[in-house]
Amino acid sequence: MRNITLSQAVNEALAEEMRRDETVFIIGEDVAEAGTPFKVLSGLVEEFGTERVVDTPIAEPGFMGIAVGAAMTGSRPVVDLMFGDFIYLIMDQLCNQAAKTHYMSGGKLSVPLVLRTNLGATRRSAAQHSQSLHALVAHIPGLKVAMPSSAYEAKGLMKTAIRDNNPVVIFEDKLMYNDKAPVPEEEFLIPFGEANIKREGADITLIGTSSMVQVCEKAAEILAKEGIEAEVIDPRTIVPLDEAALLKSAKKTSRVIVVDEGHQSFGITGEIASRINEKAFYHLDAPVLRMGAMDVPVPFSPALEDITVPTPEAVAENARKLMSGEMIHAA
Amino acid sequence: MPHEVIMPALGMAQDTGLIVSWLKSPGDAVKAGDALFEVETDKATMEVEAPADGFLTDVQAEAGAEVPVGNVIALISDSAEDSGSIAHAAPAASTEAAADDAGADDTALPDGKEVIMPALGMAQDTGLLVAWHKAPGDAVAAGDILFEVETDKSTMEVEAGHDGFVAALLAEAGEEAPVGDTIAIISTEKPDAPVQRSQSGAKAAPSSAPKAETAPAAKPETKPAPKPAATKAPAPARADGRILASPKARRLALEQGLDLNRLVEAGHPQPFHVADIEVLKALPSAQASTGAAEASRHLTADLPSDGFDAFAAWAAETSGLSDTNALLAGLAAASLGREMATVSVERFGQSHAYYVPAGPFGAITDAEDDSAPDLILRDLRMSRVSTVSLGAETAPVLTLTRRDVGLCVTLECAGHQLSATEAVGLISEFAGRMEQPLRHLL
Amino acid sequence: MAKAKTNTEDYLRMYRQMVRIRTFEDNANQLYLSAKMPGLTHMYSGEEAVAVGICEALTKDDKITSTHRGHGHCVAKGAEFKEMFCELLGKEEGYCRGKGGSMHIADQSNGNLGANAIVGGSMGIATGAAFTSKLLGKQDVTVCFFGDGATAQGLMYEVMNMAALWNLPVIYACENNGYSEYTKTEEIAAGSITARAEAFGIEAHQVDGQDVLAVNALTQKLVERARKGEGPFFMELMTYRYHGHHVGDINREYYRSKDEEKDWKENKDPIIRFRSWLVEEGIASEDEIEAMNEEIKKDASDAVEYALNAKYPDESEVDMHVFTDIPHALLRDTA
Repeated sequence: MRNITLSQAVNEALAEEMRRDETVFIIGEDVAEAGTPFKVLSGLVEEFGTERVVDTPIAEPGFMGIAVGAAMTGSRPVVDLMFGDFIYLIMDQLCNQAAKTHYMSGGKLSVPLVLRTNLGATRRSAAQHSQSLHALVAHIPGLKVAMPSSAYEAKGLMKTAIRDNNPVVIFEDKLMYNDKAPVPEEEFLIPFGEANIKREGADITLIGTSSMVQVCEKAAEILAKEGIEAEVIDPRTIVPLDEAALLKSAKKTSRVIVVDEGHQSFGITGEIASRINEKAFYHLDAPVLRMGAMDVPVPFSPALEDITVPTPEAVAENARKLMSGEMIHAA
Repeated sequence: MPHEVIMPALGMAQDTGLIVSWLKSPGDAVKAGDALFEVETDKATMEVEAPADGFLTDVQAEAGAEVPVGNVIALISDSAEDSGSIAHAAPAASTEAAADDAGADDTALPDGKEVIMPALGMAQDTGLLVAWHKAPGDAVAAGDILFEVETDKSTMEVEAGHDGFVAALLAEAGEEAPVGDTIAIISTEKPDAPVQRSQSGAKAAPSSAPKAETAPAAKPETKPAPKPAATKAPAPARADGRILASPKARRLALEQGLDLNRLVEAGHPQPFHVADIEVLKALPSAQASTGAAEASRHLTADLPSDGFDAFAAWAAETSGLSDTNALLAGLAAASLGREMATVSVERFGQSHAYYVPAGPFGAITDAEDDSAPDLILRDLRMSRVSTVSLGAETAPVLTLTRRDVGLCVTLECAGHQLSATEAVGLISEFAGRMEQPLRHLL
Repeated sequence: MAKAKTNTEDYLRMYRQMVRIRTFEDNANQLYLSAKMPGLTHMYSGEEAVAVGICEALTKDDKITSTHRGHGHCVAKGAEFKEMFCELLGKEEGYCRGKGGSMHIADQSNGNLGANAIVGGSMGIATGAAFTSKLLGKQDVTVCFFGDGATAQGLMYEVMNMAALWNLPVIYACENNGYSEYTKTEEIAAGSITARAEAFGIEAHQVDGQDVLAVNALTQKLVERARKGEGPFFMELMTYRYHGHHVGDINREYYRSKDEEKDWKENKDPIIRFRSWLVEEGIASEDEIEAMNEEIKKDASDAVEYALNAKYPDESEVDMHVFTDIPHALLRDTA
């Protein structure tokens, strides 16, 4: 199988879906000729024209609102939000309008919209261009949230998202755009709500999202050398969440670490840990650990920024503690 | 069809409206849009218009009345006569309503000082009234015991708090009353018709006269049998409460019938995980490690309760021996058959040690604080505990619990403290003495 | 009065629709006052000529977006009393199965994309609907209703900018009733309202919002031009709300006088004005008009009665319609 970058995978997914369905269009800042600052969309405007690859003024609430109205009336917009940090600007249109329209209309109206944006720190971009804000939208009923962990997931989840009749937010890790992975040439979709077991193991479960899947895989390699077999699971979508797969693994290994790049407090890690606690309590041999980004604004200095996100070494160290029965936070 | 005139919802969060004044009188002709009455809400006073043409009839609420929003307060009818078709809508806050709200029991309560159900525990909402020590109409002094109340922790006697007469008892023995609720009233004048009621609202007939005989100060046998505590498998004895173990380790131990205490006894470090279950399984079996000498003994005997109660009353009256605990210590020491003994009596979580020489009970004195007891007597007659299996302690333990209408004595001790024969002897002696204290003394 | 239509049926329908709105609101107000309606509602009474004048110039396929003061738009775009009252009372047969209520009635079958409880919240949606029309080569025009208060929201300027850049078939209809909630418009809006649109090169008109024929004539022209790709357009409709900001806003003399309200009700009422025009022109007799009024009153009270007795949605509906493809959202994650 060929290897392509995550960026190419997203580009292919969009092109395929736009060829398949003429109601699909892309809207956002510098999406056409510029192809976005990350060049993810390069070449699309040549094929589909500026009518379907629509450059907007720098007005996030405005183009998000237009996308909601377009989605309600028969189009399938893919909104490009240049940085995940700008989600704060579009909150009303995303959470008050897009997320609630289907429910408030008693099922009569729907908003088949995809919001493409990104997450991830350590790009030396400081606190307003480095956040991982997926927990904010996962909190709002009515929004689906996908978190691709490689080029393969990026393509399959994007295609599924475009065909979904609900508003879907996809968070791509902006550090992974150039990461290559095997992606089939032939068409494929990845269903929402189906976790992927990246690596099997009997001793401890590492649940990771987005780039943290790679972190968990590296931690598993470290642990394997020490004789600890870690199972790595990628939920792929956090709404809907494949709770059954996570619980099954938790019951199998009795020990779980949840790793996610959002801030640790009130975030994805806490949500998943809590569900495991509620539904697999009597199968746990150790507390479920959360490992998120530090609860600080992302600092600029590399010396500070690098310590704010979970690393494979830190995950492995916590796994060792759980394996040895060391009391963690037992006081 | 008459039109209903309704107390309108005017404010953002308004439940009632105060009718300031009627601007039309019953029977007046009105036109739709005429101001009918003025209503005051939290925000403002405003005029309410007639919803239709016709005559104002069936006015249900006078000026000054506070009426729930949505209630019909009058009709606009085709003729000036009242139709009488509105079900009487009680104003929300009139004096009549207050009387109506007094509940199912419409007997007016006598004037007097209110005695409330006290808050005794940390997180206690109700108290179980165990017994009244006074009857309706009885004279009481402020320091007199008025009633006994049981909470999650213990049973307590509560004093009247006021001098006077019991004018009303508003709960019956055996009932739970919310903390803070008035459960009795003490009047300064002797009441003509004292009231007796239950909490549930069923009206007990007012007692016609105070009871002839005065209730004895301590009369626990009038107490209803406490509700049996939820029966639970006896917990294994634990040195100091909690064992730290993972949920899965606990579940596996439970499923496999393994006792995590044995890991504690074996000195295995906590917290226990699944791996430690294997260690537990590998421990020598309980039978092998526990010799016959180490066996713990657990014996019970049943007996009626009235013997000791009568004895206690008699002893208090004739000899001034009012310390029930001392009497229990005396009977227990005598059962042990020694010249002298130190008996520690535990009651309501408090323990008190007595030095009991052979001879009359009058010679019983308090023991030295640091003296080790020969026997422990745990008096749980007032608690809801019905059976105990607490394991051996530093001395043999006799536990008194309530069983049906009588008592139950449980003896627990380690094998080396008493031989089997001695154990049977002790519990038999003690049960016999509790049943007929005087006969054994004589 | 401007004379825009010559068809008797059209005039009578415009009158009927205005009376239907007024009658609907009178009943809704009564439901609130008698504590039979959950929550609050915002009365459209007084502004009927705006909704009717505009919607009578639209086809069923044309779209509108509405506001928290949206009953008038909903009725004018063709909604039925029964489903509307059911929605106001939270009943299963409501337009949104009781999940939206007064501030969220949507009637997709008539092109009403829904009322919106966020002031100015639907401006993006209206512009997006126009975007779809252009993208997919449809003929639909979208009218975005909003109040003078919403002109203070930033979203309006973002979407007007894009609508003008892309010549979208959208008409921004600003119902200027003189008050932004409890504050006079002149205290919240600097400069001219129409000049805001003109700054983007959008053709803007001010029109007497109490004159249904004038509103209708202007809208017809603008809709026709918008269909030809000449949009967007902006209309400022000068009107007045008879009630407070919402039904609970009763004591409002601190921001507007009773005399002012009386003047609008007695001298500028759109229904009274149009009624006398109909009689003067010989289009309808007083008797015919009275008969129509009575018929509408009966329709409304029948619908109210029906809605009061209608059933509430089953509790199992609470997690339905969260997503289009997950029948019960709360069962989805359960292992």
